Amino acid sequence: MEGNILEAVKLMVVGMATVFAVLFIIIGVSNALIAFVNKFVGEDEKPAAQPAAQPAAVNPAVAQAIAQAVNVATAGKAKVDAIKPL
Amino acid sequence: MEEIFQKIYEMTAISAIIDNPSFLIMYALAFVLLYLGIKKGYEPLLLIPIAFGVLIANFPGGDMGVTAVDGAGMVKLPNGEMKCIWDMSLPSIAHDLGLMNFIYYMLIKTGFIPPIIFMGVGALTDFGPMLRNLKLAIFGAGAQFGIFAVLLVACNFFTMPESASLAIIGGADGPTAIFTTIKLAPHLLGPIAIAAYSYMALVPVIVPLVVKLLCSEKELKINMKEQDKLYPSKTEFKNMRVLKILFPIATTTIVAIIVPSAVPLVGMLMFGNLIKEVGAATGRLFDAASNGIMNAATIFLGLSVGATMTVDAFLNWTTIGIVVGGFFAFGLSIAGGICLAKIYNLFSKKKVNPLVGATGLSAVPMASRVANDIALKYDSRNHVLNYCMSSNISGVIGSAVAAGILISFLG
Repeated sequence: MEGNILEAVKLMVVGMATVFAVLFIIIGVSNALIAFVNKFVGEDEKPAAQPAAQPAAVNPAVAQAIAQAVNVATAGKAKVDAIKPL
Repeated sequence: MEEIFQKIYEMTAISAIIDNPSFLIMYALAFVLLYLGIKKGYEPLLLIPIAFGVLIANFPGGDMGVTAVDGAGMVKLPNGEMKCIWDMSLPSIAHDLGLMNFIYYMLIKTGFIPPIIFMGVGALTDFGPMLRNLKLAIFGAGAQFGIFAVLLVACNFFTMPESASLAIIGGADGPTAIFTTIKLAPHLLGPIAIAAYSYMALVPVIVPLVVKLLCSEKELKINMKEQDKLYPSKTEFKNMRVLKILFPIATTTIVAIIVPSAVPLVGMLMFGNLIKEVGAATGRLFDAASNGIMNAATIFLGLSVGATMTVDAFLNWTTIGIVVGGFFAFGLSIAGGICLAKIYNLFSKKKVNPLVGATGLSAVPMASRVANDIALKYDSRNHVLNYCMSSNISGVIGSAVAAGILISFLG
C-alpha cells in the first residue's frame, strides 16, 4: 500500500511536470513558428469578396458575433454572407 | 400443452429476469441514460448508443453483452467450456460469444477506435483560438491536476493500473479514458467509459458548481477583451493558414519525442486537423474523417462500450468507487485550472478570468460554452468563449499526454 502511494506521488510529480513541459514547449515552438511564418512566408491572401454590405440597421459587432458563432457551430463549413432584417 | 407453455416461458427472457431481478436495475440505468441523451440532449451522439448498448446487453439469451474475461484471459462459453480468449479467432468469437463480442474484440480491445475518434475530433477542431492566445494554453496543463490527485487516493483501494484508469476520467476526454483503460485495466472499461461520458454530459452542472465554490464575483467579472486593450499583444499573424498547417506537424513531433505512448491519440488528433487545414487538396479525406469514419466509429464505440455493462460487471462496489472517484477527478481538474489562473493573476499585470483556467480540462467545446455563459451572467459584455477555447483545446493535448505518461509507467 505504502509502495503504491509512493509510486502515485512519483507519478504526480513526473506527470504534472511533463504535461507542463510539453505545453510550454508547444507554446515556445508555436511562437517560433509564428515568427518564422511572419518573416519567410507571404501574407495570407485576403478573401476575394467581402460580405455583402450590411443594412444600416445591423450593428457591426452583432454581425461579427453571428458570423463567429456560425463559424464555430459549423466548424468553418459555412459563412455568413448577409444579414437582413425580417 | 403445459410443456409447450413451459418451453415458451423458458425461451423468453422473462424467466431469467424473474430468476435474477438485478437485470431491472440495468434497464433502469439504460432508460435514465436514454432520457438524458434524448430529452436533455446531454452528449446524445454518445450517450444514446451507450445506453442502447446497456439495454441490449442485458436481455438474457440475446448474446449481445460483452463477456467478462478473467485476468488470465479465460472466458466461459455458453456451453460451460472455459477457453482463453486470446487463442480464439475472430470468427469463433463471433460464433461462440455473439456479435457484440466480435465488435468489441476487433475494434475496442485492440485500441483501434479511440485514435480514430481522435482523428475525427482533430478534423473538427480549430486551433486558431489557441494560436491567437498561446499563453492561455498553459491552463490546459493545470487542469490535469485532478487525474494525479485522484490517483493518489484511489491507489489505496485499487491496483495502480486500475487507479490510473479511474483517475484519467479527470481528463474529461472520453476517447482518452477508453484508450487508457484498454491499455491498463480493460475489465473496468464499461463503468469507466460510462462515468467519463456521464460527467462530460454533466459539464453544464459540474463547472458552475466548482466555479461557484472557488471564484469570487470580482474574479468572474475580469473582462478579457478589456485586459487585451490595456495590455495589447505584440504578436501579429501575417499568414494564419500556413501557421495552422505547420502547427499539427510541429505538435505531433514534440509529443512523439517526449511522450511516445501518447502518439496514437495526439498523432491522430493532429493528422485529422492537418487534413482539415490543408484545404481543398485533402477535402475528401477531411470529409471522411469528420463524417463517415467518425460517425461509424462513434456507433461501434458507443454500442460496444454499453454492452460491457452487464449485470455482473456493473453491480459491484468497484463501479461505485469509479463513479465517486471519477466525480472527484473531474471536479479537482476544474479546480486545478482555476487555482493556476489565480496564481497567474498574483504575478501578472494582465489578469486572466479564472473561467479560462476552469476550461483547461477537455470536454471541447461544451466547457467553453458553459464558461462563457457564466461570464455573461456577471457581465453581459464579457465574451470569454475564444479565450476559454484556447485552454480547452490545449486541455485535449494535456490529457492525452497525461494518459501517455500513465500508460508508459504502468502499462
